This record gives sequence, C-alpha cells and structure tokens, in this order.
Amino acid sequence: MKVVPSRSSEWVRPVTPQKPASAIIEIDGVSQVFQTSAHKDHVALSDISLTIDEGAFVSILGPSGCGKSTLLYIVGGFVRPTSGVAKIKGAAIIAPGPDRGPVFQEFALFPWKTVLGNVMYGPRQQGVRAAEADAQSRSLIEMVGLKGYENFYPKELSGGMKQRVALARTLAYHPEVLLMDEPFGALDAHTRTRLQNDLLNIWERDRKTVLFVTHSVDEAVFLSDKVVMMSKSPGRIRHVIDIDLPRPRRRNELLLDPRYQKYVVDIERMFDESDGAGFPA
Amino acid sequence: MMSPTTLIRRIAPALACIGLLAIWQVASLVLKNDSFPTAIEAIKAIPDILSDRESLINILASLRRMAMGFGAAVLFSIPLGLLMGRSRAVAAFFNPLLMVIYPVPKAALMPIIMLWLGVGDVTKTLVIFLGVSLPVIYHSFEGAKGVEEKMLWSGAAMGLSPLQRLVRIVLPAALPEILTGCRTGLVLALITMITSEMIARQSGAGNILFNALDMGQYDTVFAMIIVVGAMGICLDAIFERIRARLVRWSEPQFDMPLSFS
Repeated sequence: MKVVPSRSSEWVRPVTPQKPASAIIEIDGVSQVFQTSAHKDHVALSDISLTIDEGAFVSILGPSGCGKSTLLYIVGGFVRPTSGVAKIKGAAIIAPGPDRGPVFQEFALFPWKTVLGNVMYGPRQQGVRAAEADAQSRSLIEMVGLKGYENFYPKELSGGMKQRVALARTLAYHPEVLLMDEPFGALDAHTRTRLQNDLLNIWERDRKTVLFVTHSVDEAVFLSDKVVMMSKSPGRIRHVIDIDLPRPRRRNELLLDPRYQKYVVDIERMFDESDGAGFPA
Repeated sequence: MMSPTTLIRRIAPALACIGLLAIWQVASLVLKNDSFPTAIEAIKAIPDILSDRESLINILASLRRMAMGFGAAVLFSIPLGLLMGRSRAVAAFFNPLLMVIYPVPKAALMPIIMLWLGVGDVTKTLVIFLGVSLPVIYHSFEGAKGVEEKMLWSGAAMGLSPLQRLVRIVLPAALPEILTGCRTGLVLALITMITSEMIARQSGAGNILFNALDMGQYDTVFAMIIVVGAMGICLDAIFERIRARLVRWSEPQFDMPLSFS
C-alpha cells in the first residue's frame, strides 16, 4: 500500500480577509491616443489610474473633450486603450461582456423591437426561458415607470421614456457594473431631474456599481459617492472627491443642505482654478 | 363620411389612368398612324392575349425567371451589402468590382452570356440577377453603414457574437433601407426580364411583344405594354404591402412621440 502524502495544504486556499469595500474595477495607467491626421496625434487620455469599489456610485466629471466617455468605453471593452490596462475583478478587460452594462446618451434602443422586446433581449440572449424573461422584463418596465407601454415601439416614445427603456434593458441582464454615458444629457431639465431621482431610487435598492459620466456638477454631486474630476487636453484626473452626504438622498432636502451646496461650489471653483477657462464650458 | 380631400386622394390614381388613356385615345385619332392604335383598340386586344394558352405560358415563364433572378439576387446581395457596410476590408475589395459593373447595361452582357450559357432560362435569369443585385447591394451597404455604433455595442455587452450582431442587429436595423433597394430591384427585374426576352427571343412576355411588333400587330404590341405595366404596378403594390408590414416600426406615422417623461 502506497502512502499518499497529505496534500491538504494545497487543496485549501488561504482565506483572504474580505475588505469592507473591495475594488471591482481597476484602471491602471490607461492612455488613449487618436490619430487625427497623418502626423498629428490627439491625446484623449493620459496615464489614468483609478480604482472603483464594488457598490459605489462614481461619477466622472469633466468638460466635453476631456476623454471621460472614452474612459467609460475602455471599461466597457468597446475601445481598446493605446496603453495601460483596465481590469474587472482582476481580469483584464479585452471585450464587452454582460458583466458591464452600458446606458448611452443616444439610448441605442433596437427600434424594431417593442419596449418589452428591447428589455427581454438581454435575458433571452443569456438563455433565460421566454416566460421567465417576459415576467422579469415586465416588472422591470414597471419599476422604471413605463407600465402600460410594453407594446410601444421606441419611435413612439419621448426621450425620457426611451432612456427609461434603455436603463431597464441594461438592468435586465444583471450587469455587475452599470456604465452610464451622459445618460440624461439629451433630455430637458425637467425630465432630467425626474430621471435622476428615479435612478437614485432604483440604485438605492440594490447598490450596483455605477460609473456615471457627466458634465453637470449638480448631477455628479447629487448622485455620487465619489466624483472624479477630469481636465482636458490631455485628459487627466485632477481630483477625486468623496461625497459624504447621507443616503437615501432626497432632492428637496439635499438642495437646501449646506454640505451639498459646498461640494458644488468647491468643485466648480476647482475647475476654474485648474483650467483657467472656467467650467462648465 | 369621407372628407373631400380624402375622396380626391383615393380616386386620384384612377383619374390619372383614365386621363392618360383619354390623351392616348385622342392623340391616336388625331395622328391617324397605323403603328399607333387607339387606347380602346389596345384594351380590346388584352382579353385575346390573356385567354390564349400559349401567351399565358409565355407570361408565366417570364414571371418564373423574374422571381428566380430576383430571389437569387436578394439572397446574394443582402449579405454581401451588409458585410461591406460593416467591414472596410470587404468594402475595399468589392467596391472597385461593383464600380466596374455598375455603369454597364446588364442587357449589353447578354450576347456574351448567351454564347456561354445558351439562349435558355439560365442566361435570362442571370441577366435579371445582375440587374437586381446592384441596387440591393448598394442599399444594404448604405443601411449597414448607417447602423448606430452604440446599438452594436449594446448588443455586444449582451453577449452577441459578431455574426449574431450582423444577423440580429445590423440586418433588422438596415431593413428599411434594404427594402428600398429591393423595391428598385423589383422594377429593374421587370425591365431586364423584358429586355432579355427581346434579345433572346424564345419565350416570355417580351417575346409576345416583339413578335407582334415584327408582324405589325400594333394593337397586340400596345396591349402587351399595358399588361407589362399592370404587372409592374401589381408587383410593386404587393411588395409595398409586405415592406410596410415588415418595417412598421420605422414608419412616419410613429413620428409624433407621446408627451411623457
């Protein structure tokens, strides 16, 4: 009889103590250079390093042309960085995947599908049975406030409604990270406010990690745990500010809160100082 | 109750047809030319054609070739156009080839194709195929090129492979444009069908027409022109019905969005 040496030490992995907030996304030295003409390069992003904790609502704030959307596309896997690496849960991002769900300013709904068809698309692609996907999608549509519009086509909807559908469509396949690219940028002020409120309500239920690109200081402070301020030419991170405001946040309370007001004023001043050009542009 | 404007809109096409026939009738009576029969004479000749077994076989043979040529062209051209629209390499390869073929009248290729493939169905179907292909490729290409990048990104995030994105996103998104190309293609199929039968006289609607012309039966010639025209209108109407149903989601009656945030 052969004596098998104990190999238990190899089978049992050492338990790493769970940090209270673990990083889900790590951006490490990412640069992006676009060739605008034969011998002219545009540096969209220069050496960006950023860590995003699981469950955090992080806004990337900056003037147009600072590469903030490009940074989001790199995390989404839609654009490959010129150098550096972005990682999700330690794995390098090389392609889009259902763990990262985008919501674009342009909505990008499938116009040949109804509201329900759009929302069901992701779950069906993931192999969820039709009946189950149907039920889940209907409840998501209700959650974003579009009950009764299941059989409407995108063309029949207003911008705000389209963005609600886009949000439901992305939430439907349960991404771990929501990537929101100026999602309310194309909407009028009133609609934008309503969608911000509703987004916060939805987010405060399950606290998915959100990476939110915006050029609105108010919006960034109102929504986020952390605001990453960027400057342009080349796109660089200027400051990272933790927004220490209580949740759940209610707009009418927050607007009167001196701490909220101070964040907004401070951030606007920081932009004035760093750019000279002033902000918003 | 129909409003006067709706009524006028409804009967306008019929009025236009009657008007055209009236002008024809008058012009024919005034010109008194043997090779220009009156509209009434031409219309009277139609039942003779449609009740003749031989003629019906000819017309059906034409339609069959047209359907085959059109179908094959659509099946070939849509995938090619979509691939060209989404891949610069594919477009760079095929664009010069298509540019060479584009200005050549497809019927002008017929004598050569006849030398290779004879005067039968294959030659005529091939010519129809060539005639239909280019507009369908072009519109599929334009449609695929215009597909919003972010729509494809959304699909990629859901886990669609590149092929799935082509079939399940690019194809439906480009469908309105593709069908516009198919509609042009359908009319071109009819034109190339008649032209091919003019060059290779053997059977078909064009054969009846040009044989009648040779024999100086001008009422039959003009009756056939009416028949071919009617076929074109019917085919187009049928196609338009199918098209409208397939791309209902993109139709302008949906352009007025609801007011709701």
